[in-house]
Amino acid sequence: MAERKRGCLGCSFPILIIIAIVTLAIVVIGFLAGPLGEKMIGDVGLPSWLNVPAPDPHLPAPVLFHVFGLPITNTIIAGWITVVFLVVISYVITRRMKIVPGRLQAAFEFLLGWVFDLCKSVAGEENGRRFFPVIVTIFLFVLFNAWLSLIPGFGSILFGHHELLRGANTDINTPLAIALVSFAFVEYYGLKTLGVKYLRKFVNVGVFFGSVGKVFKGKAKEGLSGLFSGFVDVFVGALETLSELIRIVSFTFRLFGNMTAGEILLLIAAFLVPWVLALPFYGLELLIGFVQAFIFSGLTLVFVTMAVTSHAAESH
Amino acid sequence: MGDIVDKLGISLPVLLTQVVTFIILLVILRFVAYKPIMRMLDERSKRVKESMEQAESIKEQSARAEEEVKKQLEEAGREGQERIARAVKAGEGVKQKAQAEAKQEAEALVDRARTEIQRERDEAIGEVRREFADLTIMAAGKVIDRSLDKEEHKELIEKVLEESKTDKKE
Repeated sequence: MAERKRGCLGCSFPILIIIAIVTLAIVVIGFLAGPLGEKMIGDVGLPSWLNVPAPDPHLPAPVLFHVFGLPITNTIIAGWITVVFLVVISYVITRRMKIVPGRLQAAFEFLLGWVFDLCKSVAGEENGRRFFPVIVTIFLFVLFNAWLSLIPGFGSILFGHHELLRGANTDINTPLAIALVSFAFVEYYGLKTLGVKYLRKFVNVGVFFGSVGKVFKGKAKEGLSGLFSGFVDVFVGALETLSELIRIVSFTFRLFGNMTAGEILLLIAAFLVPWVLALPFYGLELLIGFVQAFIFSGLTLVFVTMAVTSHAAESH
Repeated sequence: MGDIVDKLGISLPVLLTQVVTFIILLVILRFVAYKPIMRMLDERSKRVKESMEQAESIKEQSARAEEEVKKQLEEAGREGQERIARAVKAGEGVKQKAQAEAKQEAEALVDRARTEIQRERDEAIGEVRREFADLTIMAAGKVIDRSLDKEEHKELIEKVLEESKTDKKE
C-alpha cells in the first residue's frame, strides 16, 4: 500500500520523473530545432533532419494517375481506404453475430444503435427505419474519413511528387459529393412521400392565379387582397427553393473548411515546434471529426424529416 | 467562376467518383452491416421484451402460488385446530363416559356389597335366633331336670352362656 501511495498515474515516482524529463527534453529540442525557436533564440546548431518541412497546402487534390481516363486523386484513394476499412470491419463483425455480443460487436452495435435511436427520435419509428441507412452511411463515411487521416504516417507516404493519401474530406469534391447525395436523398423522400404536393412548397402559385381569375370575374376587392397573399406565397416558394440549394453549399463548405483547416493546423503545428505541439491538436481533430460527422448526418436527418412532413400537417 | 472552381479543385470526374464511392459504400454496408445489425437489435429487443414478459408472468405465477400455499396453510391450520378440538371433545366424552361407567360400577359394587351385608346380617340374626332358641330349650330342659336354687340358677345360665360362647368360638 505504501508503494502505491508514492506512485502517480500508475507509475512509481522515479519512472514518472524520467518520463517527465524525456518529454521536457523532446519539447525543448523540438522547440529549438523548429523555426519558431530558431527565430526567437537563434540557430543552436541542431542537425537539420530534426526539422519538419514547411507545409505547402494547396486546395485541389493532386491527380496521381488515370484509370480509363478517370483521374484518380490521393483523396479518392483515401476515400476507398475508408470504404474498405468500413466494409471489412462490418463484415468481420457481422459474420458471426451473437445474441450476447462480444466487445467489438457491442461497440459497433452501440455506435449504430445510437445513430438509429437518433433517427427514431427525430423522424419517428417508421421513417427513422427508412432513413437510417443513408444517415448512418454519411455519419460513418465522414467520421472515418476524418479519423483515418489522423493516423500518424497517413499523409507522409509519397507517390511521385505527391502524398499517396490525403484525408478525403479535405478535397472539396468529397463533401460536395456527400452534400449532393444528401440533397437527392431529401428531395427523393419528399417527392415519394408527399407526391406532387411536395413541389407546392417551391412553386406555390395557386392562390395567385386564383386571385387573378377573381379580378377578371369582377370580384375586384376579394381578388386584390388574394393577389397580395398569392404574391407572398410565390415569394416564399422562391425562398424555399433557394434555401434548399444553399444547403448544398453550406454542407460542402462546412465540412470542407473544418477538415482542411484541421489538417493545415496540424501541419503548421508540427512545422513550428516539431513533435509535441501537434499532439493536443490531434485530440481536437478527433473531436472535430466526430462533430462534423454528427452535424452532417444530423442535418440531413432533420431536412429529410422536414421534407416528408407536409405543411398542412405541420400547421394543423 | 471558373477560376474559383479551379482554385477549390472542383472537378466533375472526381466528384462523380466520390458520389459513386459513397453509393457503393451505402449499398455494401446495407447488406454487410445495417441489415444484420438491425436484425440483431430487433431480435435482442424482442427477446428482452419476451424475457421481461416471461419474468413478469413467472412473478405473477409465483405470487399466485404463494397465495395458494398461504391459503392451504391457513386451511390446514384451521383443519388441524378443528381436529384437535374434536379430539379434545371426544376425549372429554370418553372421560365422562368412563367416569360414568366407573361410578355406575362402583354403585353396583356398593349395592351388591350392601345386599351381601344385608343377607349376611339376616343370616347371622337367623342363626342367633336359632341358637338362642336352642339355648332356651336347653336351659328349660335343665331347669326342668333339676330344681335349682337361686344360686344354682344363676350359675346355670352363666354356664350356658359360657358354653354358647365356647361353641360359637369353635
